Amino acid sequence: MSSAGRPAVVELRIPSRPEFVSVARLTILGVASRTKFTYDQVEDIRLAVGEACTTAVERAQNAHREDAEITIRSEISDGKLTVEVYDQIGVLATSPGPAESLDEIDKESLGALLMELLVDEFKIEPLPTGGTVVRMVKYAE
Amino acid sequence: MNLKVETRSLGETTVIDLEGEVDVYTAPHLKQRIIELLDSGTKRVTVNLARVDYLDSTALGVLIGGLKRLRERDGTLDLICPNPRIKRIFEITGLDKIFDIYSSEEAAIQKLQEKEGA
Repeated sequence: MSSAGRPAVVELRIPSRPEFVSVARLTILGVASRTKFTYDQVEDIRLAVGEACTTAVERAQNAHREDAEITIRSEISDGKLTVEVYDQIGVLATSPGPAESLDEIDKESLGALLMELLVDEFKIEPLPTGGTVVRMVKYAE
Repeated sequence: MNLKVETRSLGETTVIDLEGEVDVYTAPHLKQRIIELLDSGTKRVTVNLARVDYLDSTALGVLIGGLKRLRERDGTLDLICPNPRIKRIFEITGLDKIFDIYSSEEAAIQKLQEKEGA
């Protein structure tokens, strides 16, 4: 448990490669367990952060930029967890809403849709340096 | 690899038993197995997610791709998903309306027998 009232920051850098996404998920699982989230909320955070890293990894693969790094910065303060996932690999598209039929499904946008649905606040922003940051906030119930 | 992929026959259906995590690293392994089944002429596939403890959008993409290809050949791709957390991922994305999802192998077998008897 973090000291009362004082934000706790955990930062992790991983290579933009598929085998390292599970490392980010394990880390965020540990971080989320430091605050009063329910089991289901911790699982939501794990999946949302996994999705943010996965989209970065996929874009890195498409751009042949596997050398790029992903930074996952998480901050716990006053019953909320803020996670920012930074990359330097171009701009990420936004999500289209739940699928109605098989033909409508855009596989690439499922990840963004999941992130939007699993956290309380969700934003994708371009970075001035050319990359993307995904900002997510989850409040403890 | 954090995912085990095994196949077995159940009547006219091929069951793919998955165990572990299906994510951007492991999903290509599942995709490859589905492609092999398609190439061998399999039409009915049931993916058993009972022992899957993590599944992400990459896995959903592979399952959607498999379903599309099988439907093009008048085939099916159903899911066994007793884990409510995994099932929730299909529900919130609307994919529970696209896949036939069974809560147990018994429920899936019953439905398969009805289909094969039809």
